[in-house]
Amino acid sequence: MQHVRFLHKTGLVMLLIGMISAALLVAAPAPASAQQKTIKYGTMHPLTGAYAVLGQDQMRATQMAVDEWNAKGGVLGHKIVWIYRDDELKGNVAIRRAKELVEEEKCDFIGGTLSGSISLAINEFACKTKTPYVAYCMSDMVLGSDQCEYGAAFMVIPYSAALAVSKYAFENVGKKWFSITADYRWGHSLLEGWMWQSEQMGGQHLGNVYVPLGTTDFSTYFAKILAAKPDFIVMNNLGADQTAAIKQASELGLTKNMKIFCTKTAQHTIKELGSAYNENVIGGMSFYWKLRDKYPGAKKFVDKFMEKYGAPPEQDGECGYVATNLLFMAIEKAGTVSDKKKIMDTMADLKYTLTKGQEYVRGCDQQRIQSYVLVKGKGAKAKGWDLADIVAEIPGDSIVMSCEDNAKKLPFVNIKLPK
Amino acid sequence: MFEIPWNVIAMQFFFGIALGCIFVLLSSGMSIIFGLLDVVNFAHGTFAMLGAYAVFVVVSLTGNFFIGLVSAVIIVGIIGMFVEFILLKPLYGKDPLLPLLLTFGLSVAIPDLIKIIFGLIGKPVNYPEALSGIIALGPVIIPGYRLFIILFTLVAIISLWLFLKKSDLGMIIRASTRDSLMVQTLGINVSRIWTIGFAIGVGLAALAGAIAAPMMSATPDMGVDMTMTAFVVTVVGGLGSLGGAIVGGLLIGLVVAFTAFIAGEYSSVSMYFCMALILLLRPRGLFGEQGRE
Repeated sequence: MQHVRFLHKTGLVMLLIGMISAALLVAAPAPASAQQKTIKYGTMHPLTGAYAVLGQDQMRATQMAVDEWNAKGGVLGHKIVWIYRDDELKGNVAIRRAKELVEEEKCDFIGGTLSGSISLAINEFACKTKTPYVAYCMSDMVLGSDQCEYGAAFMVIPYSAALAVSKYAFENVGKKWFSITADYRWGHSLLEGWMWQSEQMGGQHLGNVYVPLGTTDFSTYFAKILAAKPDFIVMNNLGADQTAAIKQASELGLTKNMKIFCTKTAQHTIKELGSAYNENVIGGMSFYWKLRDKYPGAKKFVDKFMEKYGAPPEQDGECGYVATNLLFMAIEKAGTVSDKKKIMDTMADLKYTLTKGQEYVRGCDQQRIQSYVLVKGKGAKAKGWDLADIVAEIPGDSIVMSCEDNAKKLPFVNIKLPK
Repeated sequence: MFEIPWNVIAMQFFFGIALGCIFVLLSSGMSIIFGLLDVVNFAHGTFAMLGAYAVFVVVSLTGNFFIGLVSAVIIVGIIGMFVEFILLKPLYGKDPLLPLLLTFGLSVAIPDLIKIIFGLIGKPVNYPEALSGIIALGPVIIPGYRLFIILFTLVAIISLWLFLKKSDLGMIIRASTRDSLMVQTLGINVSRIWTIGFAIGVGLAALAGAIAAPMMSATPDMGVDMTMTAFVVTVVGGLGSLGGAIVGGLLIGLVVAFTAFIAGEYSSVSMYFCMALILLLRPRGLFGEQGRE
């Protein structure tokens, strides 16, 4: 009887082992050959902090581009795995995130960031690790010794934005100008662009105030500006700083009788400002959603983005969309996912039409050559997202220096910034 | 280089006072809370931010900025009462670090909640039409809204002073600030006084946020800088002193304004230099009591 019980128990144990083995076999991964191959793309965006709205836009547009590529089967038969991180708009955090993405997550390619200063550090890291990096922000990484064959800049670079806006201002408004400049590298680069253009076009720079990031009261600067009596004021700042500056200029009645030029502005800044961003405030952008009326690619992109997220894309989102697309287009054209040098070389020769007219990535310094748009606020007449009208689109080729000059940071390296 | 005429200096002084008035409202609230509860309110700027959003919502609904200002104080004051009653009260008498950590947590959580409700884009609050123009006093140009800020703060601070000095409740609050145990032995429910005091403190913060909103828009993260400014002004004026908050606020406003005028890039850091200097010379702040440095 005991023998029978023993056999019965043994049988049950064997049955259990058999079932577990079968389950494990079912759950076991398929042979490698049957699995879809993947490539990993990691991006960083400021998803918290003052520029979170722009970081979110970058992230959404990147997701849209990745989804589109995956919907058509990925790139060279590889499914794209996209990972993103919050860089908090802090240099040290961004570097940590870049290392996480490359060393821990084993990303093959990295992209993103909103700050020019951060992009310089990420570019350096990308060069050391030979990881292709597509920057989404206004960055000086294509100039001088910061140039690197593994880094490409997809937003208009700072001096180009300054050249585009200043040319329009000197031709259409006047010669005497006063500037408010954010006191960090990006602001200084914009100011260099303005000062060089001013020299070329007979402008008269009446003065500049450097303003710390996060300043909330600008009225204390306006007394100085009023005393200088300029034809127009230049704002080399962004985000909450620009919002506060224009609000307070409007409070002083400056936006009623004086032009204000924002070298870079943003759609959400115009929305936040409401009636204060009127027809006397002119801002620069690399993309404004109303370009959909001019370019079929812009219409397709804007409509899809709006359908998905309920608001038109910012220039930062558009830049992320183009950079992500260009990376995968380069991989596809190069015919390799592993030869990163070849991929970057291929990207450097690419001509494409995506969200604006035909554009290209300039091979010698790996920057996207694109137009810069100037918009004029609609003030109290703004409705929904109809916040501004496009007044000019400055062609990309007219606002970049030659590769030889860029390699030596000419002519801006010779500009002496005011103290 | 151009010369700076006297009228520009006068304007700068005026802007400094107007800026200082916002600091006065902000730090008076922090001072009352610290004086009464011994709580360092890390979420003070966050309540100011709530004030800015409250004025945005009420102005959107009613179209009246002045109703918005009053509503902001009431709405945020009520929120403050709940926060004190439900979250802070259980921590009294325990480790002083706990209320500090709690308010720090609120300063992180509440802006995230605001982002979920209102989105990441800031909300514009327009100047009331009657205050949107400029007033020219000879060659001195004064924005109407800044003049309103100064006059409004004057009225608000005098009302607060009268309330604390002349009303029964105000006197009980002041007595509780001095010796809450003694007040309790007189049969007064001190716990309720703490709740009311906290509500008044955050209500003043809300007023500062609401009045500042037309100058900069209401944004979820605007509280961070406001908390820092409130700390600086409160420390300069003396912890727990209403008079200190007034003098400290105006002083810091003028320091920031004139630094912006002379060397703009140092305007933000100037208030910290000023604080360091005052702490070196007088560790308890300008009007602080001994033992509270």
